[in-house]
Amino acid sequence: MDNGTDSMLDMYLFETNSLMEQLDELLIEAEKVEEFSTDDVNEIFRIMHTIKGSSAMMEFGSLNQIAHHIEDLFFYIRENGMDAIAPELKKSLFNLMFKSTDMLRSEIEKVENNEPLLENVDNIVGEINSFLNKISDAKDTSPASQPETAATPETPSVAELNMELAHCPDDDAPFFIKLLFEEGCGMENLRAFMLITSMQDLNIDFRFYPVDIETNSDTCQDIVDHGFFLAVDQEEHIEKMIHVITDASHIQSYEVIENARLKKEEAAAEPQTQQPEAPAQTAEVSAASDSANESAPAKPAANARAHSGPVKQSLISVNLSKLDALVAIVGEIVITESMVTSSPDIQGLKLDNFMKSTRQLRKLTKDLQDIAMSLRMVPVSGVFQKMNRIVRDMKQKLNKDVRLTIIGEDTEVDKSIVDNIGDPIMHIVRNSMDHGVEDSPEERIAAGKDPQAEIILSATHTGSEVIIKVEDDGRGMDPQAILAKAARNGLLTKPESEYTKKEILSLLLLPGFSTNEEVTEYSGRGVGMDVVKRNVESVGGTVTISSELGQGSCTTLKIPLTMAIVDGMEIAVGNSIFTVPIANIRQSIKVSNEDVVYDAEGNEIVKCLDEFYPIIRVHQLYNIDTEITSIEDGILIWVEASDTSYCLFVDELLGEQQVVVKPLPSYLNSFNIKNSGISGCTIMGDGNISIILDILKLYEMAQY
Amino acid sequence: MAEETKNIIDADLDEAVEVEVEKERFLTFHSDELTFAVNTKYVIEILTNHAITTLPMVPDYIKGIINMRGQIIPIVDIRSRLGKMPIDYGDNNCIIVLEIDSISLGILVDSVSQVVDSELSKISPVPVNKQQELVNGMISLDANNVVLLLDCEQLVNEQMMM
Repeated sequence: MDNGTDSMLDMYLFETNSLMEQLDELLIEAEKVEEFSTDDVNEIFRIMHTIKGSSAMMEFGSLNQIAHHIEDLFFYIRENGMDAIAPELKKSLFNLMFKSTDMLRSEIEKVENNEPLLENVDNIVGEINSFLNKISDAKDTSPASQPETAATPETPSVAELNMELAHCPDDDAPFFIKLLFEEGCGMENLRAFMLITSMQDLNIDFRFYPVDIETNSDTCQDIVDHGFFLAVDQEEHIEKMIHVITDASHIQSYEVIENARLKKEEAAAEPQTQQPEAPAQTAEVSAASDSANESAPAKPAANARAHSGPVKQSLISVNLSKLDALVAIVGEIVITESMVTSSPDIQGLKLDNFMKSTRQLRKLTKDLQDIAMSLRMVPVSGVFQKMNRIVRDMKQKLNKDVRLTIIGEDTEVDKSIVDNIGDPIMHIVRNSMDHGVEDSPEERIAAGKDPQAEIILSATHTGSEVIIKVEDDGRGMDPQAILAKAARNGLLTKPESEYTKKEILSLLLLPGFSTNEEVTEYSGRGVGMDVVKRNVESVGGTVTISSELGQGSCTTLKIPLTMAIVDGMEIAVGNSIFTVPIANIRQSIKVSNEDVVYDAEGNEIVKCLDEFYPIIRVHQLYNIDTEITSIEDGILIWVEASDTSYCLFVDELLGEQQVVVKPLPSYLNSFNIKNSGISGCTIMGDGNISIILDILKLYEMAQY
Repeated sequence: MAEETKNIIDADLDEAVEVEVEKERFLTFHSDELTFAVNTKYVIEILTNHAITTLPMVPDYIKGIINMRGQIIPIVDIRSRLGKMPIDYGDNNCIIVLEIDSISLGILVDSVSQVVDSELSKISPVPVNKQQELVNGMISLDANNVVLLLDCEQLVNEQMMM
């Protein structure tokens, strides 16, 4: 039982969250052009409708109500078009929408955290309703079908309608549908004609007045003044015709009038007014919503997918744990496959067909591996698009003019990384907006910059890493101020003068650091950048900051791509076997004693391609017993990792291997192993363990 | 007759009640002349003659890591850990693989002895002024036999010690 409700809840959350994301993107794009297109309106209507239904099923009252009212609002907008809204009201519409989606989102969060939902959402509902009233009131000043008609005393209303009927053509039909087109839409006669043509598809007997719309353009004025009439014989046909009418565009209103000349009752028993809240219209709404709601709320995922933009392919959602299991098993297959092919039993045997098959097997395993790895890759666009919202909100709050440029959002990264970098990037973007961008356009113009600031968010691959940059062209960072603040907080470990600019900027990543004098809503508490650093490092990445005073700053996140499978070179040092990732190896060199020179401190350095690089002896660093201690007997591997480049002295190279990285057991975390140059281990074909070296950390450790 | 039956039944009931007293099972092992016991709920497996890969840059008592059916398990030498003289077991080593709070760990011991049942009441705390590392109790197996209860929690909660 519990399983059932849990998975229903999961589905609901997953689907509702995806819809909210879609909605957000849509709102931001629409706000940029300050307009909702018809597609936008329809999509918002559909999204709200879906959320309303599924929230009702899950008995989440607050969500249901908010969605319901937004749906009503957009139904009205759909019926009457965006033109029905005055330009100054449009801006408030956008703000209202953002406010409502924020409310929805916070309620959803409450659901996720098992907290009670709001009992009373009257204030937001009130806002939506009053906005709706505002826009429909603005329309109500038009001459046709006023609700006052019904309110006025009996005799004049009958008389008035009789007058209208006077315009009503002489027809014995029991019902008339009177149509009014939107003011100023033009070509009313042709529009009426188009309407007629679509009606004729219904195979219903009806008449229309004025009759000569096709030929006489004066009928335009007729229709504008008196309306366009359809005479219907049978009541059942009315609904069908109304369908066609509602689908047509530029129709301001329609009215079903009972022919008072035939029946001397009060006509216009149900004057259909423009107000969507009127009961007649709600009948319309339910009719429309019934047809729109073919699938039960339980399966709106399919709907949402089908209706989303053309960019998205058909997707299936898979439980992450299944994916993890799959990737783990594929990893084991790779290991087992190499265990089979390098099995000692077959060494030295001449087995041609066998070798041929193993080559085939290896190729297939590699393909399987590539696909399994790619399953977990998702584009970073999800994270990047969220930044749009942040920039927009901060723009309004801080009153700064900034545009966000996104480059390379299709870059794919492992899902666990995407989940991890969302918060760091958000923090960095906030920092840029809060501190980086100047407070006023005048400041920027004075500095010779474009008054609108720009923040560039970019993601690129470099084969083994993903590089994510947040760049702004704001005022940059002042090294002196940073140094001073660090000194005040007691964060300096050496005299101020010894700090290079790079080191100063990296002081920003220390906990408890902030150059802000006060704490604002967004920053200043000094808990930001070090959390960013920790988050990024937990997925194996690095954070660097660069900046030019007056010109801008750039924060770079470098994250290794696939963590699980690495092309490595096996090397031997004494009895131990290590693996060096091929991506880090530049060259392997055999040198003689004469090629090695010594620097001022007695460290060995060697020349590679016109430059000198230090030599690190692995056996010394790790205290491993080995017979090979002379440079000539072993081999040097020239390795590189981000900015560092040096040579590793090892006993011998054993060969290339594609290895599955296994993380070190968590028990060993407390011994700071990661910082000593060991990034993980791998199990080789013969069952032995090889330790994988982290080239960057190894170098850093060797410095101490 | 009825009296007798009742007595027998009563006696049986007494016995039955006795058996239900809490008993825990312990695996006893030797390390440097001392006998230790570890609760079997932590013991996963006992491995012998398993190849250990040494790890650089770790304290002496971390002997290295092993590959147990694809899982990497760190190995702690109990002798070193307790400050005793380590011995080179060569290829004849004996490892007890434990899982404590979902952390997997192997301990290198001289030899394993047997599995015993013991009632919780037979476990006494260590005298205060004779506190030892990694020991949080003493179990009297029978009249002459007392073993030291291994404190598994302390074993895994090494926070930057040494």
